[in-house]
Amino acid sequence: MIDTPQIAEVIIPSPPHGEPIIEVNHLMLSFGGNHVLKDYNLTVHKGENVVVLGKSGCGKSVLIKCISGLLNYNGGEIKVFGNEVSSIDHKSLDALRARIGFVFQSSALYDSMSVRDNLEFPLRRHGREKTKDEIDKLIHDTLDDVGLLEAIDKMPAELSGGMKKRVGLARAIILQPEIMLYDEPTTGLDPITSREISELMVTVQEKYNTSSIIITHDMHCAKLAGDRVTIMMDGICYANGSFDEVSAIRDPKIHSFFE
Amino acid sequence: MTQPLKKFFNEAGETTYMGWRFLKEVWFPPYEIREVIRQCYEIGYRSMTLVGITAFIIGLVFTLQSRPTLVEFGAQSWLPSMVGLSIIREIGPVITALICAGKIGSGIGAELGSMKVTEQIDAMEVSGTNPFKYIITSRILACTFMVPILVLIGDAIALLGSYLAVKISGDMSLTLYFDKVFSILQYSDIIPAFVKTFFFGFAIGLIGCYKGYNSSKGTEGVGRSANSAVVVSSLMIFVIDLIAVQVTQFFGFV
Repeated sequence: MIDTPQIAEVIIPSPPHGEPIIEVNHLMLSFGGNHVLKDYNLTVHKGENVVVLGKSGCGKSVLIKCISGLLNYNGGEIKVFGNEVSSIDHKSLDALRARIGFVFQSSALYDSMSVRDNLEFPLRRHGREKTKDEIDKLIHDTLDDVGLLEAIDKMPAELSGGMKKRVGLARAIILQPEIMLYDEPTTGLDPITSREISELMVTVQEKYNTSSIIITHDMHCAKLAGDRVTIMMDGICYANGSFDEVSAIRDPKIHSFFE
Repeated sequence: MTQPLKKFFNEAGETTYMGWRFLKEVWFPPYEIREVIRQCYEIGYRSMTLVGITAFIIGLVFTLQSRPTLVEFGAQSWLPSMVGLSIIREIGPVITALICAGKIGSGIGAELGSMKVTEQIDAMEVSGTNPFKYIITSRILACTFMVPILVLIGDAIALLGSYLAVKISGDMSLTLYFDKVFSILQYSDIIPAFVKTFFFGFAIGLIGCYKGYNSSKGTEGVGRSANSAVVVSSLMIFVIDLIAVQVTQFFGFV
């Protein structure tokens, strides 16, 4: 049994929002003796962008990997569209994942495939009813959305870091998911490209009405793209509210994030 | 002492499970035919030059080395038959499989290892694609069918190399050489030797995939995966060869 840390959570009630899409209740996860998530709670509503801030190694990436079913957790529950992630079968999990877009920190582009093939890959598996022309059009439109149409026939090795992030984003949104999970989308990018990626995330939310969890250390990204900011600390959701509300909290632990 | 043993049995169990899962899933859609064909090209066609050159040299050197002993006993006319039998029954399959273990096994181990550490496999999984089907099934299938073809090609080229050695040291036509080789060969020599190459291919693909798919510890892990894929699959080739000989003898093919 993991002891819940004796830390006062600073929760600012959120204004009423749409229906809950992701519900994380009392999540616990350990790696060996290292208790990463101890009693983590988070709810993401429809059309909402939630930013998760926290120190490196505190379990932010682990959280979204649990939500997408990439990692098994030790306790608590995660409900996505009302389905408990750990208890559904493989087929249902694959169907659920088709409704989730995941942008990896490293972009995770398939390096043996061109940009076009990277985008076609999920479509060939989930868009079987689509004709080749429809698939081509969708790939063109999606690349146009992220401003990378000219790179359609390039290989990932020929792209810059920012371009890779855009292609990763394009691949994630090509199935028009209802949930977007971003794992440090602006890490390693210059301030201008970071801002462009943050704006793209807002555009994606507006265009596809997605609900998102954004893991980041980038305060500009958090302010620009997040409707709500939560702080993960010591395995729990330590603070929760709008960017301005959380940044105004006088707790030194929270304040250090905004300095 | 118990820790390495535990690790060994753990890995053996996991590899067996992966092999079992392959045999279970290979019959059901999606078939990933495009990827299987691509892997056949990468694994088969791209290994042909290496296998060809090595086989040619092995055939040539083996014949040159064997000739003096046979001459001593006045049995040089047996040279094509003896070399042909050795190449087709044992040397061809084992040497080609070892070359494939080195080239293909390490390639698969490193490729999958790097896919693992750069989260490409996670990306596939999270997009609702079964990475086992796309990555592992396609590679094991390609190895299982390409290694026997490479062995056939290697055998033919090794015999040509052997003919060149015979031609250097004496006068013999190509027709007579191959007539002497095939006059002694029987189906019981060819079939078991060919059948075991499918198992060699399966083992190379399976071990390469297992090592790569379970790679960890970043780029260092990728190197380790590639290295251990070669070591373990080379060892497995000898183990399978040993079992194949016992089975062949059991059924009276020798």
